[in-house]
Amino acid sequence: MKLEELRKIRERVQQELSLREGKARIKIIIGMGTSGIAAGARETLRAFLSEIENRNLTDVLVTQTGEKGLASQEPVVIVEESGKPGIVYGMVTPEVAKRIVAEHIVNGVVVSEYVIQVED
Amino acid sequence: MRKRLDVLICTGANCLSSRSLEFKKKLEEELERRQLQEEVNIVGTGCMGPCQLGPVMIVYPEGSFYVKLKDEDIPQIVEEHFLKGRPVKRLLWTAPEAAKIVEEKKKIPFFEKQEKVVLKNCGRIDPENIEEYIAYGGYEALAKVMSEMTPEKVIEELIKSKLVGRGGAGFPTGLKWKFTREAKGDEKYVVCNADEGDPGAFKDRAILEGDPHAVIEGMIIAGYTIGAHNGYIYIRAEYPLAIKRLEIALEQARKYGLLGKNILETGFNFDIELRMGAGAFVAGEETALLSSIEGKRGMPRFKPPYPAQKGVWGKPTLINNVETLANIRHIILNGGEWFASIGTENSKGTKLFALSGKVNNTGLIEVPFGLTLGEVIFDIGGGIPKGKKFKAIQMGGPSGGYITSEFLNLPVDYKEIEKTGSIIGSAGMIVLDEDNCMVNMAKFFVEFTMSESCGQCTPCRVGLKQMYGILDRITNGQGTLDDLTLLEKLGKQIKSSSMCGLGQTAPNPVLTGLKYFPEEFLEHVLYKKCRAGVCASLFYAPCTNACPAGVDVPRYLAHMTEGGLKEAFLVHMENNPFPSVCARVCPAFCERPCERGKFDEPIAIREVKRLFADWAMENDVEFNPPLELRKEKVAIVGAGPAGLSCAYFLTRLGYRPVVFESLPVPGGMMRVGIPDYRLPKDVLNEEIARIVESGVELRLNSPVSSLQELKEMGFDAVFISVGAHRSEKLNVKGEELEGVTGGIDFLREVNLGKKMDLKGKRVAVVGGGSTAMDAARTALRLKASEVSVIYRRSREEMPAQAAEVEEAIEEGIKFYFLTNPVEFAGSTRVEKIKCVQMEFQGFDKSGRRRPVPKEGTEFEIETDFVLLCLGQRPELSGFAEELETNKDGTIKVDKDTLETSLTGVFAGGDAVLGPATVVEAVGQGRKAALSIDRYLGYEGKFPFPRREVVETSFNEEEYLKVIPRKTPALEMVEERIKSFIEVNKGILLQEALEESKRCLKCDRGKEVVSEKLEKEKVRIPLGG
Repeated sequence: MKLEELRKIRERVQQELSLREGKARIKIIIGMGTSGIAAGARETLRAFLSEIENRNLTDVLVTQTGEKGLASQEPVVIVEESGKPGIVYGMVTPEVAKRIVAEHIVNGVVVSEYVIQVED
Repeated sequence: MRKRLDVLICTGANCLSSRSLEFKKKLEEELERRQLQEEVNIVGTGCMGPCQLGPVMIVYPEGSFYVKLKDEDIPQIVEEHFLKGRPVKRLLWTAPEAAKIVEEKKKIPFFEKQEKVVLKNCGRIDPENIEEYIAYGGYEALAKVMSEMTPEKVIEELIKSKLVGRGGAGFPTGLKWKFTREAKGDEKYVVCNADEGDPGAFKDRAILEGDPHAVIEGMIIAGYTIGAHNGYIYIRAEYPLAIKRLEIALEQARKYGLLGKNILETGFNFDIELRMGAGAFVAGEETALLSSIEGKRGMPRFKPPYPAQKGVWGKPTLINNVETLANIRHIILNGGEWFASIGTENSKGTKLFALSGKVNNTGLIEVPFGLTLGEVIFDIGGGIPKGKKFKAIQMGGPSGGYITSEFLNLPVDYKEIEKTGSIIGSAGMIVLDEDNCMVNMAKFFVEFTMSESCGQCTPCRVGLKQMYGILDRITNGQGTLDDLTLLEKLGKQIKSSSMCGLGQTAPNPVLTGLKYFPEEFLEHVLYKKCRAGVCASLFYAPCTNACPAGVDVPRYLAHMTEGGLKEAFLVHMENNPFPSVCARVCPAFCERPCERGKFDEPIAIREVKRLFADWAMENDVEFNPPLELRKEKVAIVGAGPAGLSCAYFLTRLGYRPVVFESLPVPGGMMRVGIPDYRLPKDVLNEEIARIVESGVELRLNSPVSSLQELKEMGFDAVFISVGAHRSEKLNVKGEELEGVTGGIDFLREVNLGKKMDLKGKRVAVVGGGSTAMDAARTALRLKASEVSVIYRRSREEMPAQAAEVEEAIEEGIKFYFLTNPVEFAGSTRVEKIKCVQMEFQGFDKSGRRRPVPKEGTEFEIETDFVLLCLGQRPELSGFAEELETNKDGTIKVDKDTLETSLTGVFAGGDAVLGPATVVEAVGQGRKAALSIDRYLGYEGKFPFPRREVVETSFNEEEYLKVIPRKTPALEMVEERIKSFIEVNKGILLQEALEESKRCLKCDRGKEVVSEKLEKEKVRIPLGG
C-alpha cells in the first residue's frame, strides 16, 4: 500500500465514524478490555444487541473499544450521537442497557443516574 | 392478535379539561384511516401527571412520554412513530435534570485532571479494526518517518523529548536507540517487553488490549531507525485477550502492507513475532526475557554486555517497554520539543498509573508529570472508601516502597519519588488504609519475590527465604527485637549483592516498611499486637483489638445472644467499669473494623452494650471491696474516667486507693464536659457510686497542690489523671472581648449548675469536634435565638461523631463550613466575627486537606457570644515544675509503664494523651493499675477467670444473610431542644438480642499468642 492510499483510508473512515453520512444515527461503544469483561461487559453487549433487535432499530451501531480507565465503574458504555456531547455510562448491567436503549436511544432522555462523564 | 403498540392517553380530570378525550377520538379515527387499529391499542387511563403538561400520552413498549398534545400532531405521530418506529422528539418530555447532570458530569475530577495522550484511543476506537486506528492518525508517524526522516533525525527527536523508559528502570530512550543503532552488525532485533508481572500493574495490558497498533507502529519505527528487520513481542500468557488482539492487529497490519515485506512500498522489511511467557515474573527482567525468547530458561545474566551490544541470539537488540513504544508515534508527529514541554524538569511527558486498593475510583489513569500525589489519590482517585483513614501508597510493586501522608504534596516525578525511598517502577499504585498491616504487606511482597526468584544467586535465593521466615514468625507473634535488626541487615545485603533487579529491589517493601512504620513492627514484636487487625494470631477479634481498653466484645455479644445480661456485664467490667457511660458517648472504635461491616453493616455494639449496662444499674450489681489487702497506699489525682478506672482496677488488685478531686463533683470531663442530653447525670453518678463502693475513698473539694504533699501523706505510688481542661486559644484580635470564652469553660459552668438564659442571644461556636457540638447544642437548649458553628474544613472532615453532627443539623444549628474567623470585633463586648472563606490547597503532614483562606471572600457574622472549641491542654499548676512535659503541655510518660519522670509517679488520660476519649482514658487507667502493681513488686495480674468460650444455642445460619443493623430511636427534634432530656433512646432488649446474633464470632477457636505466652509465664510489656 502506498502513502496516498493510507491517507485515503483515513479520510474515508473519518467520515464514516463521524456519523454525518447517515449510516448510523447513534453509536453505542462498549468497553471490552479485561476489566470490562470481568465485570460483565459481554452480557451487557448481548443485552444491547437483543434489545435493539426487538425494537427493530436500524440506525444504531454497536461496537467495542478498549478500557477507558475507570475500572471501578465497569462495564462502561459510551453513547455517541452526531451534534451532541458523548455520554459515558458506568455500571451498565444488562438491565441498565435496556433502559439506555428505551430512554436514551429511542426517546433521547439521558439516564442521568448512570452517567459518569460527558465528552465534548 | 396481540397488539404491537400500547397507547395510554390520560383521561384524568385535568387532561379532560385540556380536551384529551377529543384528542383520543381523533387519534382513533386516524388509526382507522391508516388501517392500524388492529396493531395499536388505545386505552384511556386515569391521571398520569404532570397535569400542567396535558394532554399527556405514553406509548409502550418504549415508554415514550408525549406532552402538550394537539390534534394537529396526530398525523405526524402516527406516521413517524407508529408506522416507522421513530418517536417525534419535539413532542416528548425531556427531563430537566438531564441537562443539569450533563453540565455537572463534565467536571468529574477523575477525568478532568488526566491528560490522555497514550490512552487517547483506548475507549475510543475498536482495537480489532485497523481502519479506525488509521482514521485517528494511525501509521501517520510511520509514514512521516519513512518519507521525511533519517534514522539520525528520529533519534534526535527522541533525545530532545527526554523520554525515558516506562518499564521501571527509566533509561533515556533516545540514547538506547542511539547505542543500538551504532552497534556493529547487520542482524539486529527490536523486542517489546510486555511481560507485565508486578502485582498491581496493568497499564501495559490496557494499551495492548485497547490500542495494539500503537505498539506495533512504535516497533516498526524502531526497526527502521536502528536497522532491524525482526521484532519480538514477549507477552505473558496470563494476558489472553491482549494476545488475541495483538494477533488480529498483526494480521491486519500485514494485510494492509504496513508490516512484513516492502512496508508502504519503500522496500523496508520488518516483521514481528509473538512470544508468550510462561508464568515467570523474573522474565520481565530484560536479560532473562531474551534468554526465554531463545528457548532457554528465563534466568538473568550479568550486564555488561548490554542488550544493545549483545542481546537475543547474541545480536544487538533494542528492548523497550510497551508504554515507551506507544509514546513514539506521538513524539514523531508532534516533535520532541512538544513532549518535553509536558511534565517537570526531570520527568517529561505523561505517565500511566494503575490505581487500585483502598480507593474509590480504581482503574487506569494517565497524568502529566508534576501532578501531586494527593491529587492523584484524592481528586482523581476519589479518596478512601467508607471514610477510612489513608495510610500509604504502595508504589512500584514488589520493587517499590511506601509513600506516606507527609508526601502527598510531592509532584509525580522520578527524582521526587526516589527521594522518599520508593520508585515509580511499573507504575502500580496500591492505596492502603488503616485496615492494612504494614508487616503483613512486607511479608506478602517478600513471599512473592521469594517464589519468583530464579535461584541463580545466593543472596536472592537464600536471603529472601530467610527474610520471609522472619516476617512469618513476626506476624505470628514469635518475633524479637533482634529479628528486626536482622531483617534490616539482611535486606541491605541482598540489595547490594544480588545479580539482577529482582533481588536488588525485593527487600524494598521491608526496608521502607521499617523506615516509615517502625511502630507497627515494634508492636508486633514487643507487645504481640497488630493494630490494623490483620495478623490473626495476635488478637481475638478486630473489635476487641481496636478498643483502647481491650473490652472483650465477642464474648459479651455471645452472652447476649443467650440473654445473659449479667454475664455480659461482668465481661465488660473486666476491662471498662463505665459501660453505661460508654454506651452513650463512646465513638465506638470497635465498630469501625467490624468484619460484619464488610458484608452488610457493622454490629451496633454500643447500642447492645447499653442494654446490659443499664440493666446492671437498675439491678444494683455490685462489686465488693477487696478482702485480701495490699498494704501499700496509692493516691490518684483527678476523678475523671482515667482516675476512677485506675482506682477501680486497683481495688481488684487488693488496694484501697484514695482519689483526690478538686471539684465538688466527681466525673471529670464526663461530668463537666458532656451535656445531660447525651449523658444524664444520674447514669454517670450510679456508675461512679458503684466504683466507690468497690473500695475507693473519694475526696471531693480536695485539690492537690504538690506531689510532696502526697509523699508526706504516706502514699507509695501516685497516679495523675487531671485531664485537659484549659481551653486552647485562637490567637486572633479581639479574643479578650467580653462574650468570647472557651467552649469547655461554658460547658463546665452549665454542668455545674450555673443558671444561664441565652434567650434572644446569638451564639457562634468555633470548632468541629465533640466539644463544639456539645457547646452548640447546649446553647440551643438554653434558648439562644440563633446558634451557628464555624468550622475551617468541610463536613466530612469534622472530628465529631457523624451522628452528633446530624442531630445538630436537625436541631436547626447553622453550619458555616470552610470558614475561619480572623477577628472578633466590638467595643467592650463582641458584636461580630470577621470571617474568611477557605479553600483546599494541598495536604498537611497528617494527610488531611489543607484549608487556606480564599482571597476576597471576607464576610461578617453578627453575634453576642463566641465559644471557642479548639481543643484543650492540661492545667498542671503545682505539678508543672516537678514533672517533665511535652511541648503541648501533656505529661511525658514511659510508653510501657506510664511512669512519669519521677519514680513512683504515673500518669494517664487526657493529661498524657491530650484531648481524647473516655474509653482511651479508661484503658490508660487500667494499664496504670497493673503498672503500679508491678512497680510495687507484685505480679501485675488481675484475678479474673481465664477466658472461656461461650457456647451459644441459636441457629447461626439464619443470620448469614443481609440484615441491616438496629438503629436507636431518637427523641423528636421539637421536644428535645426544649430541655436536656436524653436524645438517644437506645434500642429495645429484643432488638439487642437479635443484633448480637449478627456477630460473626471472629474469636471462634482462637488462642491468641499473648495468652499462650502468659501460660508459659512469659511476661509481655504492657505497652501498645
